[in-house]
Amino acid sequence: MTTISASWPTTRQRIRAALSKLWQPYRPVPLLGWLLAALVAVGMEQLVGLPLARTLGMSKIPALFGALVVLDQPALIPSVLLFLILIYILPVGIVARFTAPFTNKIAARLVSYPLVITAVIHLLLLYAVLHIWCDISDYRVLVARMAMIAIILTLSLNVVNGYMGEFSCSHPGFMALGAYVASVFTLVFFVSENQFGEALVPPALGPFLFPLALILGGLVAAVGALLVAIPSFRTRGDYLAIISLAFMFIVKSLFENLEIVGGARGISNQPNYASLPVVFAWTVLAIWIINNFVRSTMGKALNAVRDDELAATAMTVDTRKTKMTAFLFAAFWAGVAGGLFAHVLRYINPDSFGIRKLAEVLAMVYFGGLNSVTGSIVGAVGLTMISEALRPLEIYKWIIIPIMLILIMIFRPTGLIAFTEFNVERLFLPKDKAPEGAEDATA
Amino acid sequence: MKIYKIFPLLLITIILLGACAPALPESIKIGVNAPLTGDIPKVGEGTRYAAELWLEETGGTINVGGKDYTVELVIEDNESKGESAAAVNTKLITQDEVLVIVGPQASKQAVPAGAVANDLETPMISPWSTNPATTLGRPWVFRTPFLDPFQGPVVANFVSEEFGYTNAGVLYDIASDYPKGLAEFFQMGWEDIGGSVVAFESFTTGDTDFSAQLTKIKDAGAEFIFAPQYYNEIALIVQQARELGFEGPIVGSDSWGSAELMNLCGDACKGLFFSTHYAAEGATGATKEFIDKYNAKYGYVPDDVGALTWDAFNIVKKAIEDCGAITGDIDADRQCVRDAMANIREFPGITGNMSFNEEGDPTKCAVIVKISDEGLFTFYEQVCP
Repeated sequence: MTTISASWPTTRQRIRAALSKLWQPYRPVPLLGWLLAALVAVGMEQLVGLPLARTLGMSKIPALFGALVVLDQPALIPSVLLFLILIYILPVGIVARFTAPFTNKIAARLVSYPLVITAVIHLLLLYAVLHIWCDISDYRVLVARMAMIAIILTLSLNVVNGYMGEFSCSHPGFMALGAYVASVFTLVFFVSENQFGEALVPPALGPFLFPLALILGGLVAAVGALLVAIPSFRTRGDYLAIISLAFMFIVKSLFENLEIVGGARGISNQPNYASLPVVFAWTVLAIWIINNFVRSTMGKALNAVRDDELAATAMTVDTRKTKMTAFLFAAFWAGVAGGLFAHVLRYINPDSFGIRKLAEVLAMVYFGGLNSVTGSIVGAVGLTMISEALRPLEIYKWIIIPIMLILIMIFRPTGLIAFTEFNVERLFLPKDKAPEGAEDATA
Repeated sequence: MKIYKIFPLLLITIILLGACAPALPESIKIGVNAPLTGDIPKVGEGTRYAAELWLEETGGTINVGGKDYTVELVIEDNESKGESAAAVNTKLITQDEVLVIVGPQASKQAVPAGAVANDLETPMISPWSTNPATTLGRPWVFRTPFLDPFQGPVVANFVSEEFGYTNAGVLYDIASDYPKGLAEFFQMGWEDIGGSVVAFESFTTGDTDFSAQLTKIKDAGAEFIFAPQYYNEIALIVQQARELGFEGPIVGSDSWGSAELMNLCGDACKGLFFSTHYAAEGATGATKEFIDKYNAKYGYVPDDVGALTWDAFNIVKKAIEDCGAITGDIDADRQCVRDAMANIREFPGITGNMSFNEEGDPTKCAVIVKISDEGLFTFYEQVCP
């Protein structure tokens, strides 16, 4: 034991020291600098990516940072690595480092403006990066949209399972409610020639009224949540898990037996409203609102309820109201995610919202980290990407992903990035005058 | 600092190199979108086996306009999930740049995947999907099986002519789109020819005890039962019906046609009838050749998924050959293959001759199969539209 504990820290420390030395020049890079660097990188990929990929022996630009190529053709791994270094790592490294004085100046100036303006500038830059990155291939567009929907879903489940500390299994049910309501709404109003007859309003209005469909879907999901909440919050312990699981199956059979929405056949041909900017906007909105919610008094009360309900009551927290609000709020966002999902895939059937979807969302929440907005984002994007990347492994994929989850549960029982606060204001600050040892928030 | 200076230089070199990079080798890529994992891995396996057997059979090349092109199969797993099937199709089309896609099999994957193929203008042919939405209003999407609106009445007419019954009982899974659709089409067909459905009973996927429904059907005076279910449920349904003393025949649909059926059902299923795409026993010509090769290579008689996938691949091959020339411009080639596929008439498949209608659905004959006393699926009669 003594030799191990004596030798381990030294190698570890050495690695850590080397890494921090490498990282040293990047400490003063603000978020703005990173976004600018990413913009340069994706712009370069757009301009020279294809000839570079061809030169390196690949037929196309590696779509998901080479993750798909690596398993299919291991011989191309060096090419992929070289591509990544030339297109992403080097430009990002160089631009981020050498524009730091400049970007810090801008970031410092932005501090004096209202937060909204700073946020919008950053978001526009982020969207530009995403848009140019996705412009390379439709596959990226689809994966990016799916990942963003997964973010909304994971975040909303994290409100219940992480911040509130209950175990809810009904998220696929809420998602189904949102998906069906939003689909029926858009099909009834904007699409002709289907089981609901002619379009009621000119289809040109569709994209503008689409938010209404999503909100309506979210509200119906929240009403569904009320049905679960009323009986289950009267009791304590595992009851919510059981009742919510039942609710999920009830919703599934409800749609299986509702002939008007296609029964087990499902609904198809939803209009193509959930484009990349739309999904991006809704994801940003969801992150912003959910983050504000969990940092509000209500969010803190929610944590108090989780840690000790009795003590929370003693401290004048209205536990029942707090739990109800949080649960309905989470269901609303699951419904919105469902509506977006239906319009990305443009086909839904009751079977899509079963136990497999539940396992997927739960895995994302516990992989990313409980009680953490950043964790949810990491979990959702991470698992979506890993799942896409490991597809060529077929059946072994279903061995590797569970093993990964088990390892995470062993070494980080609450998930990768758990119990952190997502402080937007600090994210935008210039970094050159930041106090030493300040947490870097670029993850 | 060094890298800072040489970086632009490096880039210029790369661009110049890229400009004179050698042209890519000439080959035809065919995407396969199959459920290799998930709920129906046996279907995925059948798809892969049929695809690989077909590739072997063609010798790995297709001759187009007097020139041999190497054929490359890109087989991807869709995990039996709709969203994964859409992602797989997008990847096959935009990343792998396949000329045409075979699959997905089940409708819940074929409907969203078909939307992707149609939007990205790539021909796709589903060997197994029977949901009308898969091809409806999608000029780029085709399929090889006949549809349920055809199969339902086929069974109804067969029973009426063969046995002369008038009272039918139906038992189906309400939570699964295929049995439910077929049960309804059968009911319509049966009532059209003057019969009456005295009991229309349902259960939910995963149920194993059907005695309540079967008792109802028996008490309602049904002379036979139509059960458009999968082989694992059929074994239970038939055995339980016999235990309850139901003596009439139980008739089924193409979902019965799995090699597993007789292993599970045993003697109880002998002598029963079902409608399907092809009969393995007593097959002749190309069908027999396919069955023998498949059996020799993989050790079991292929079910309808294998046969339909085989046909889908041969239709793809014919469409590519009919196209006449592969230009290397993938968009033009896809358009050419789609047009050639839409124009296919009287294609001699092992599951019957087929021609595509304007929706991309085939017009073809169904086969009524009788399970012989040896437990083999023998050809009984053919019903054409």
